[in-house]
Amino acid sequence: MNGRPLLALLRRDLRLAVRHGGESLMPLVFLFAVLILVPLGVGPGPNLLAAIAPGMVWVAALLASLLALEHLFRPDLEDGTLEQWWTGEVPVGLLVAVRLFSHWLITGLPVILFAPVAAQMLYLPDRALGVLMLSLLIGTPLLSLIGGLASALTLGTNRGSVLLSILIFPLVVPVLIFATGAVSAAADGLSPQAHLGLLAALLILALPLVPLATTAALKLNIE
Amino acid sequence: MIPEFEYAPYVWTSYGIFAMIVAWQIVQPILKRKRLRAELQEELALAQGEYSDDPNA
Amino acid sequence: MIWKKIKVGFHKLGSPPVFYRVCQVVAPWLWAGAAVCAAFGLYKALFVVPPDYQQSDSFRILYVHVPAAWQAMAGYLVMSILAIIALVWRIRTTEIMAMMGAPIGAAFTTICLATGSIWGRPMWGTWWAWDARLTSMLVLLFVYLGIMGLYAAFEDKRKGARVACILILVGLVNIPIIHFSVEWWTTLHQGSTISFFGESSMDASMMPPLWWMVIATKLMFGAALLDRSRNELVEQDRRKGWVRQKMEATA
Repeated sequence: MNGRPLLALLRRDLRLAVRHGGESLMPLVFLFAVLILVPLGVGPGPNLLAAIAPGMVWVAALLASLLALEHLFRPDLEDGTLEQWWTGEVPVGLLVAVRLFSHWLITGLPVILFAPVAAQMLYLPDRALGVLMLSLLIGTPLLSLIGGLASALTLGTNRGSVLLSILIFPLVVPVLIFATGAVSAAADGLSPQAHLGLLAALLILALPLVPLATTAALKLNIE
Repeated sequence: MIPEFEYAPYVWTSYGIFAMIVAWQIVQPILKRKRLRAELQEELALAQGEYSDDPNA
Repeated sequence: MIWKKIKVGFHKLGSPPVFYRVCQVVAPWLWAGAAVCAAFGLYKALFVVPPDYQQSDSFRILYVHVPAAWQAMAGYLVMSILAIIALVWRIRTTEIMAMMGAPIGAAFTTICLATGSIWGRPMWGTWWAWDARLTSMLVLLFVYLGIMGLYAAFEDKRKGARVACILILVGLVNIPIIHFSVEWWTTLHQGSTISFFGESSMDASMMPPLWWMVIATKLMFGAALLDRSRNELVEQDRRKGWVRQKMEATA
């Protein structure tokens, strides 16, 4: 087995995202829409904004990761590419992992890159910025993994989007709790290590298990 | 005889909700079974050619 | 010899007509047992047990609240076991049973949340608190709703059942994590959470009604599960010969 199919899949996914242009900018648009609308909604007071900043950035990241999920596997199912995955020599779990990785590059990475701007706009204390970045770095791959699993589960249905949110909501509860907990702790001058450690533990648990479950769900859906 | 509880409304509504939801667990399968039976009988009649559109016939 | 009989009997349960018959015979007995246990338990809970010295009579809500909560979780465990059997051996009757557990589990979760909220009003002064147990029960309700929604969304019921079985197993890993994370979250934010039962264990005189109610809810779950599975089986097999025969026999 060589890695060329994996690389080809990654390049194809990214190229598609770039050529779709507008769609791949959606996560960022979403992030900034939240950042602008929230102060308008709750008032521009720095104390209040600073207190809710971790939660707002994280909710924006979560919603941004939901955007592209509907089309994560569906076009490939419809044009038959998905079935080809089982005929190749590359383990399907790896292809799934690559697909999820490209989803993270498209939806997670822009949010991480622009998180410092977001933090400034919401008056997040400077000492919490590093932890915010770190929590996003560990946490957004988890969002992509969970989202990928949910989108594989709903693949065979024709009203995926409502179901997607119901399935994702319970699964992301721990991620949100640990990530925002870490940032809040850092903003209050406490050590965020415990939260970040637990978040990392979740990622380590999810990395091997989620592609497995996703592959099983995909296989059932193309049978 | 119903004892005079303190907080009686809270206690009784709780027990009421419990009873109602459990009762629904009994009633729902019975209703569904009736509906299924009616549907199946209709299908059976249709299949055997004994079906008539006119309810008075 | 006896083992072989048990084994054959077990495998026969995979056959739809046999399963139908077993459900038909067993479910009423389970309901009857549940009724007896619940009558015992409710009588003791409402008339025999003395009021709590701190919470007065409001603690009587415990006798429906706690059994419902335990059953909501035990129901999930039952569904997980059925889901594993369904995914490994692909037995259709277990697939159906695993799916039919979800609405019943959701019902018990709803009982738990509603009675908890009603209990919270006089004791905590609020209908809802972001307490660890309440929040994780709410999340559990959404897990149940997700399973029901996923199963309902599939045209092909067998495929839907298997996909939803995967979701059940994902939830099985996830529910302890959710519970732990929520506990961690509330203890950090609220400092001292109002503790439900306190550290002091309950008085021995308060225990028997609780056990009666726990047994009653277990039997209710089992009975409702069999009732619902039987209906689902007939609905899926409505064009098959055995259903036709049954209809002709009773018509």
